[in-house]
Amino acid sequence: MSSLASLQRRMSHAILDGDIDSMPPLARGPIPLEAAFEVHRNTVLGGLSNALRLNFPTVDILVGEAFFDQMACAYIKAQPPRRARLMGYGDGFPGFLDTYSLVDHLPYLSDVAALDLAIDHALVARDESVRRSVAIEPGISLSLPVSLTGLGLSYPGDLIRAALHSADDQALAAIDLTRQPRFIAIWRTGRQAAVRSLSPPAGVFLARLLANATAEEALAEVFTTTSPHVALPAIQAEVFAAGFARIDHTNSDGQTP
Amino acid sequence: MTPVPPSRGAARSADPIPARAGIGLRFPHHDHVLAHKPDVPWFEVHPENYLGFGVAADDLETIRRDFPLSLHATGLSLGSADGIDAEHLGDIAELCRRIQPGLVSDHLSWSFADNLHLPDLLPLPYTLETLAVIAGNVDRVQTALGRQILIENPSTYLAFADSALTEAQFLGELTRMTGCGLLLDINNVAVSAGNLGEAPADRLDLLLEYLPAGAVGEIHLAGHAIRPLDSGVLLRIDDHGSPVSPEVWLLFRNLVECIGPRPTLIEWDTDIPAFDVLWGEQATAQSVLDACAWRPARVFAR
Repeated sequence: MSSLASLQRRMSHAILDGDIDSMPPLARGPIPLEAAFEVHRNTVLGGLSNALRLNFPTVDILVGEAFFDQMACAYIKAQPPRRARLMGYGDGFPGFLDTYSLVDHLPYLSDVAALDLAIDHALVARDESVRRSVAIEPGISLSLPVSLTGLGLSYPGDLIRAALHSADDQALAAIDLTRQPRFIAIWRTGRQAAVRSLSPPAGVFLARLLANATAEEALAEVFTTTSPHVALPAIQAEVFAAGFARIDHTNSDGQTP
Repeated sequence: MTPVPPSRGAARSADPIPARAGIGLRFPHHDHVLAHKPDVPWFEVHPENYLGFGVAADDLETIRRDFPLSLHATGLSLGSADGIDAEHLGDIAELCRRIQPGLVSDHLSWSFADNLHLPDLLPLPYTLETLAVIAGNVDRVQTALGRQILIENPSTYLAFADSALTEAQFLGELTRMTGCGLLLDINNVAVSAGNLGEAPADRLDLLLEYLPAGAVGEIHLAGHAIRPLDSGVLLRIDDHGSPVSPEVWLLFRNLVECIGPRPTLIEWDTDIPAFDVLWGEQATAQSVLDACAWRPARVFAR
């Protein structure tokens, strides 16, 4: 290994670990080494914490700035960034929160983080591009946008997010925090992201489509738990007529007329 | 030292940024710029915030229709002994293809080592080994982008015991070896000089003394914080969070009188104020450029 490579490895680990004694030999100057070292360490940790804060704004509001920074430092140590592009930094943050003992009393926090992350992903997706087109019946297909994410939650992260971002304390206090499955659709609408909760049949149907099932396969799965006369109207209203989906009529050649 | 050939990719941009004052554009001001199209000659952005697709990238393409743009990268890690991240370089090249920037730049620094990316502009020892590494990396970037890039002089807080060259000597050699240009950050000159116990004007003179004529392709202006330490020493921190200091304005005026007008940018990255505050700083910079517009550029190569 070259001496420059060795120096950079020592320095990067020293900064992340806060271990000034591991720094390579430095020249004495007017600024004490400890102060100069802290400038770089603060820049690195502050930059990464702020990147996480931007990507997880609801978590930030929920736990407060100081505790968020504490969580961020623990996450940075566990999963330091590997790429220069920090817009996507934090993909592992929701999973990390599941294992972070200091938030054991906030079992819904990981779901809130997962929703923040899905919104972030929707906002960096190409607008209006089609992710997949699903044949519904001859001459009719359903197009789903590339920005669309189907998120399965165990807690009402969408309700928590809505109440926090509208500063509605009454709504926040009224949320039932009992663990129960929820399905959320998130997609990009111009410069915003839309978030909508779906009923179980619509959620299962959309999840199967996003997992590349055919419409028949998705419906078959829905019908194992829900009768068609309940499921089909829900799917019609919450998937087919939802803002994210587009119904395409095609001719016999498969082309849009 | 292994000789490094001149960059094959070095080429002047076909869409140059004018030698006028521009503004560093950050996301909080997108709406304002899109709605009002302010009379600003050009904008500069950090490409790392616009890679791929999404709202920010769409905004940038819209803004590009009305304004010349410069890309000021922070993550190429040109001084990294581990080399350039090929995927990141490819992303930057794709963004260049989409928006056709007038200038592309990054820093005399490193941020990537041992598969870790640290979001900072970390200092380099100025040795012949480092010179060979960064020259190779700059050559690779210029080849991939098919154009010359500018390298920004860093803000310095510490120096390495084994540095054999001064920053000025190092940058001078780098520009000669690769054909890259210099992005001369006057605020960084003031910060580094203050932290290393030098006179800012002397540090600036030294940079100009060692650089090839015409190497300065862009100038940056920004504010910095000053923190008194227990020892009584003042620590200057390049936080881009306040107006340009009087000391930096004076250095800027002297520089432009010496080398003539160059594309000049107002940067503000923390505690970002209303757009009009940046516009006021931009107007001040423009007035300095206008006052010196008649002066011929002085030849300052050694």
